[in-house]
Amino acid sequence: MPSLSQPRLDLQWRGTLSDYVTAIVWSANGEQVAVCSAAGEIQCLNVITQHLVQVQRASGQSVDTLDFSHDSQFLAAGGQDGSLYIWQMTSATPQLLTRLPHSTWMEHLLWHPHRLELAFSLGRYAQIWDAQTQQVSTTLPFASSTVLDLAWHPQRDYLAVAGDQSVKIWNLEDKDADPDVRELPTASIRVAWSADGNYLASGNLDRSLVVWPWDLPFPWRMTGFPGKVRQLAWSTVPVGTAPLLAAASTTGILTWQKQEQGDQDWTAQVLDWHQQQVNAIAFQPGTALLASASADGYICLWQQGHKRVQSCKGSASGLSCLAWQPNGSTLAVGDQRGEWQLWSPSQRGQGFS
Amino acid sequence: MMVNIADHTVPVTVLTGYLGAGKTTLLNRILTHEHGKKVAVIVNEFGEVGIDNQLVIDADEEIFEMNNGCICCTVRGDLIRIIGNLMRRRDKFDHLVIETTGLADPAPVIQTFFVDEDMQAQLNLDAVVTVVDAKRIHQHWEADEAQEQIAFADVILLNKTDLVSEANLKTLENRIRAMNAMAKIYRTQDAAVAMDSILGVSAFDLNRALEIDPNFLGEDTHEHDQTVSSVALTASGAIDGERLNGWLAHLLQTQGSDIFRMKGILSIAGEDRRFVFQGVHMLFDGRADRPWKTHETRKNELVFIGRNLDEVKLKEDFRACLV
Repeated sequence: MPSLSQPRLDLQWRGTLSDYVTAIVWSANGEQVAVCSAAGEIQCLNVITQHLVQVQRASGQSVDTLDFSHDSQFLAAGGQDGSLYIWQMTSATPQLLTRLPHSTWMEHLLWHPHRLELAFSLGRYAQIWDAQTQQVSTTLPFASSTVLDLAWHPQRDYLAVAGDQSVKIWNLEDKDADPDVRELPTASIRVAWSADGNYLASGNLDRSLVVWPWDLPFPWRMTGFPGKVRQLAWSTVPVGTAPLLAAASTTGILTWQKQEQGDQDWTAQVLDWHQQQVNAIAFQPGTALLASASADGYICLWQQGHKRVQSCKGSASGLSCLAWQPNGSTLAVGDQRGEWQLWSPSQRGQGFS
Repeated sequence: MMVNIADHTVPVTVLTGYLGAGKTTLLNRILTHEHGKKVAVIVNEFGEVGIDNQLVIDADEEIFEMNNGCICCTVRGDLIRIIGNLMRRRDKFDHLVIETTGLADPAPVIQTFFVDEDMQAQLNLDAVVTVVDAKRIHQHWEADEAQEQIAFADVILLNKTDLVSEANLKTLENRIRAMNAMAKIYRTQDAAVAMDSILGVSAFDLNRALEIDPNFLGEDTHEHDQTVSSVALTASGAIDGERLNGWLAHLLQTQGSDIFRMKGILSIAGEDRRFVFQGVHMLFDGRADRPWKTHETRKNELVFIGRNLDEVKLKEDFRACLV
């Protein structure tokens, strides 16, 4: 058993932005990692060539959301200046392909898992931009509130849009059809499909977590969280009969596991170690190893979603975000002062399990 | 629940009042006064906010119901989202001003600061400032919003006094005082007021003494011709803590939606320290405060501001809590 004092991940690289790291994302091929800040900068590191490029300079207006297309060709960004930016990332210098200006903050954007289509939020609407035609192809009115989160179904052509009183699921094969409305007594602030596409989870403002089977409106519900359920993560591999779900609320993380028998039962386990708010959680792709990052700067690794196998201070100022390289070998984290880091398995230690 | 008042939190001023009462004029005065500081302003329509280099954010008032329409659980979803985003900046801002539309009920704004964990941790609600158009308020007396904006206020500017006679002003002041016995009332023209009267007020800080207008307490009979009124209860002696709990719980359960605000200082039997509390609708925030001083007279003071308050019954039920 590895001892806690001997980290299994070591700091390998660090970069600096001038303010709070708002998002960190990997390209699907794992070659590039991009970060953005509350000052408006975007940087991108090619981890093969170690070439770092400044995609966008600080403007004073926060960039809040960032995503690579499924083929790793395009990087999209949005934030407080309201514009949607898309860069072509295939050459050594990123080429700005398009800029779509809007007057409201752009807080969420997400590329389709296997098509060159980008969903983004725009006030009370979600829109889809098509990279082939370079046009907005679809406008989806959430209507009842500002869009608070977005999630593409991993296999089917569904987009889940979260907001006050419901999560609405649009089937984009039939764009004229009304969305499937999953009603809630509160606002959904985070929404996530499991990687197998069988479940949709919603983290809510009223300190509850709701999970629906993908095709049924009857949810499992868990209440009594210490605060709003602000982060969600699904393991990419099943643990038992279903993927493992992790939810972060204040300083705690809860993992939820579907039981072998019966349709109703999930068992919960509380991961209580962080001293300050947990700001980011993510399962390592291909395993059930959960990484968590908190506002006091600690990174924690939890084996099978419950056994703490490493905890170390990553930042003096507190961590804000994290993302695993798609092959699971490197963990990227960002902090509240603008530093971002890459952590990989220690050469002397053993690999992950 | 506790309203966080730690030093590093950012003070928030809420500006309410009808369209044309003088809110934007007051906002521009605040921005001029705070020149050199970073002020973030959340407005609901871009007015003539005349100062450059300030962060002005246009927001739609989005009301989120947290619990099946329970009035105390309605919060401003747009504020949670926008402020969460703004608070990430390293050089955040020194002061946040939230201007509501003329037709807004101020309760959801205030409740957001009590209910939302991030707002509690990072901000402190300094005061609700309501600007009243002394000439035109008469056209709006019947409107719920006008009554609520006065009832929820910590500071009321009776603006445009140059357009109204002294006798009318006096009547207006008395009427407002009967509705809200806790607010400080200032007469203004062009919303000109000493800035320390509206900034740094700490009206939601439980450490701050409860202030009831002595004139209000002195009167035996108040005008209760209106639906919104203040009721002040005072008594010497000690309160039975359990009975008080039962009474307040029942009161908030049955009349919480009609009780806009309440505040009090109590002498609980068997306790060496004062008990201080405040409430907004059903949200209640109370705790033991400093010890009673040796030569201090132990007393109880409570103020309720609400709609259709039954003063006689409140007094009776309160007296029944005395030991």
